[in-house]
Amino acid sequence: MPLGGSSPVVRSAQAERTTGAKFEQPGRHGSTGRTPRGARAERLAPFVLVAPAVLIIVALRLWPLLLGVNFSFTGDDERNGSFVGFDNYAELLNDPLFRTALGNVGLLVILLPVAVAIPGLLATFIYLRVPGHRLFRGVYFFPAVLSPVIVGAIFNLMLGFDGPLNAALAQLGLGPVDWLGDPDIAMFTVVGVHIWATFGMALVVFLAGFSTLDAALLDAARMDGASLPQIIWHVIVPGLSRTIQFVFVTTMIGMLTSMFGLLYVMTSGGPEGSTYLPEFYVWIQQGRMNRPALASAASTVLFLIMLVVGILQVIVLRRAGRED
Amino acid sequence: MRQRTLWSVVLVMGLAVTGCGSAAPTQSSPGESKGRIVVWDWKSGEPAVASYVEKAKADFAKKHPDVTVEFVAQPFDQYYTLLGAATQSGKGPDVMLFNGGGQLRDRVDTLLPLDQYVAEDKQRLAGWDAFSKDGKIYAAPVTLQGHPIYYNKTIYQKAGLDPANPPKTWNEFVSGCAAIKKTAGARCFALGNKEGFGIQFFMSGLGPGILTPKEYDDWISGKRDWTSPHVKEIFALWKKVNDDGLNNDGANSTALFNDAFAVFNTGKAAHIIGLMSDIGHWKDFGEFLGADQVGVMTAPVVTDGATPVLPYDGGIGYGVAKSTKNPQLAADLVRSLTSTGALTAFYTGAGAITSDTTIDVSQGAPAVAAIVPQIKGGKPALHVALSSKTLDLMGRLSQQLLSGSASVDDVVKQMAASDKAS
Repeated sequence: MPLGGSSPVVRSAQAERTTGAKFEQPGRHGSTGRTPRGARAERLAPFVLVAPAVLIIVALRLWPLLLGVNFSFTGDDERNGSFVGFDNYAELLNDPLFRTALGNVGLLVILLPVAVAIPGLLATFIYLRVPGHRLFRGVYFFPAVLSPVIVGAIFNLMLGFDGPLNAALAQLGLGPVDWLGDPDIAMFTVVGVHIWATFGMALVVFLAGFSTLDAALLDAARMDGASLPQIIWHVIVPGLSRTIQFVFVTTMIGMLTSMFGLLYVMTSGGPEGSTYLPEFYVWIQQGRMNRPALASAASTVLFLIMLVVGILQVIVLRRAGRED
Repeated sequence: MRQRTLWSVVLVMGLAVTGCGSAAPTQSSPGESKGRIVVWDWKSGEPAVASYVEKAKADFAKKHPDVTVEFVAQPFDQYYTLLGAATQSGKGPDVMLFNGGGQLRDRVDTLLPLDQYVAEDKQRLAGWDAFSKDGKIYAAPVTLQGHPIYYNKTIYQKAGLDPANPPKTWNEFVSGCAAIKKTAGARCFALGNKEGFGIQFFMSGLGPGILTPKEYDDWISGKRDWTSPHVKEIFALWKKVNDDGLNNDGANSTALFNDAFAVFNTGKAAHIIGLMSDIGHWKDFGEFLGADQVGVMTAPVVTDGATPVLPYDGGIGYGVAKSTKNPQLAADLVRSLTSTGALTAFYTGAGAITSDTTIDVSQGAPAVAAIVPQIKGGKPALHVALSSKTLDLMGRLSQQLLSGSASVDDVVKQMAASDKAS
């Protein structure tokens, strides 16, 4: 019966194709004189259609980028506009402040697993339906909708030397900590606040990943008497490998490109320049120091860092795709 | 099909031309039109200076009734970034506001020398030095920016000190601070050094009591001896004041604007090195402490032979872009913006000590009465003589001094190198 049922469909499709071909023939033959031009127009059509996008990318993205790179080889102040070769880049390498900024990029990469593990663990608890999980889902996501400036202002109050956190520590008999004024602590404080403010988005991605997880595997693990850490390590982590990789990539981009607002409000790059990131350095050189060419060189270096990070991301995602 | 392709090409070309046209810089500048002058600043949007802007506009309109003046108020945080970008792309304003000192001097290559236009105003206005470079004037001063040491008379009374006779020497000052801490429970100084501005105020506020008059004058004229014991003393005292608990805690994470001012306003500290223009000044403090309770003192003498004076410069001032199409019109607007009528409105509305020495301030608060007579004998502030780059470095080094990660010798060595290079 199924076989009998399928053959008319196949025949019908073949018949349609044949008919269509036959139907097309007269038309093609009928316009014999326009055929080469028509074919050329069809060949050109895709190029015409993508032209606006290409033009916009070239004019508004690539061209300014090239201008910026070109500008980085010119001088500031008295040497304004003249070609100075790699002088700006040499100055950057000799500037301890820029080296600190690059070092902080390395610190962010080291702290990345923490930024991924926190939303991952919390999403796991929500998925495993801890009491109040619906409330937690909303509460955890809430900071993601706040502007970094607002978040920074709130935490400036909370973390002030005379602020409530230090008051609470004093109640516990612990000494006050200068969360934003101690150069050894400030960067960790700002990164911590950044993670607090942004992990909601990663949490949502994790929850979406959990929806694809086979619940039968969890049940089987439970039946076999696996503990919670064992379930997380042996069932959830392997099952969510692609999601984890995705969150790694997006969190890294977020940490490298969107901490400016928080830094500006919370520490202004200080104390002692310990919380500088390349983005902040670019802004200071351009805005406060009136060194646009040096700022262009710094932004070119930042661009190269992002390019390397981007290529690594592509490799990671490609590998993740292959595993499937 | 052919027609469709043709139309597509036309559409794409149209879009491309429009897109490129809007992205590319055009040659026209806002000042190209003879009947329009564009002014950039960060002040004109504030309600307290509305009457000042109106007066200046009215003064200008009397001379040039057919010229439109457009004020564009930019956010101060991004002002110099926006100005730099606009100037680079040839779209800058005709007239623009500057802070005196480094911010102006770093940009004189884009400014028109104003000497021939403002000759008549030279006597009436004070503070020209901060807007001059290599003997040429590049902007006309609107306010004076100085660093008086303000004190809270109520705290002085509580501590058993005489509010009418603030300490004259450093030793007297420190013993007064001990009494203030003991009996009034307040710190001696309100300090905010989060952005590194605290050291600038400290250097200029207390420096006149540390450097001898000759050292002071040499410093201002560019002959800065960073190895001098008195210069080192500025940084050593900065550290000692903090180490001895004279400052509020957590100075490196306290913003000067407005957190440190809030510490002073709420009576948690007895002194602050404040400003004279329209923020962090006598009027702000008077609103919290009561105008009669805000005292002004000169720097206590730290070094024998030092003769403290009021440190001040031109605060903010308007300059004219070199690229303006009508320099005379733009300069006339600058003169209107610094006219006596307009500056009187600035003083009345915002409480700023303006550059106009002819304005009668005798009816003002006691703090104003204490500051204004000192203007005549005052000298430029020490930190204003340094370049933006050196000031930025000094901010970071001052944080290192407070946290203990750099010594005074390290600091003066780095400062000397930066000062020499800039």
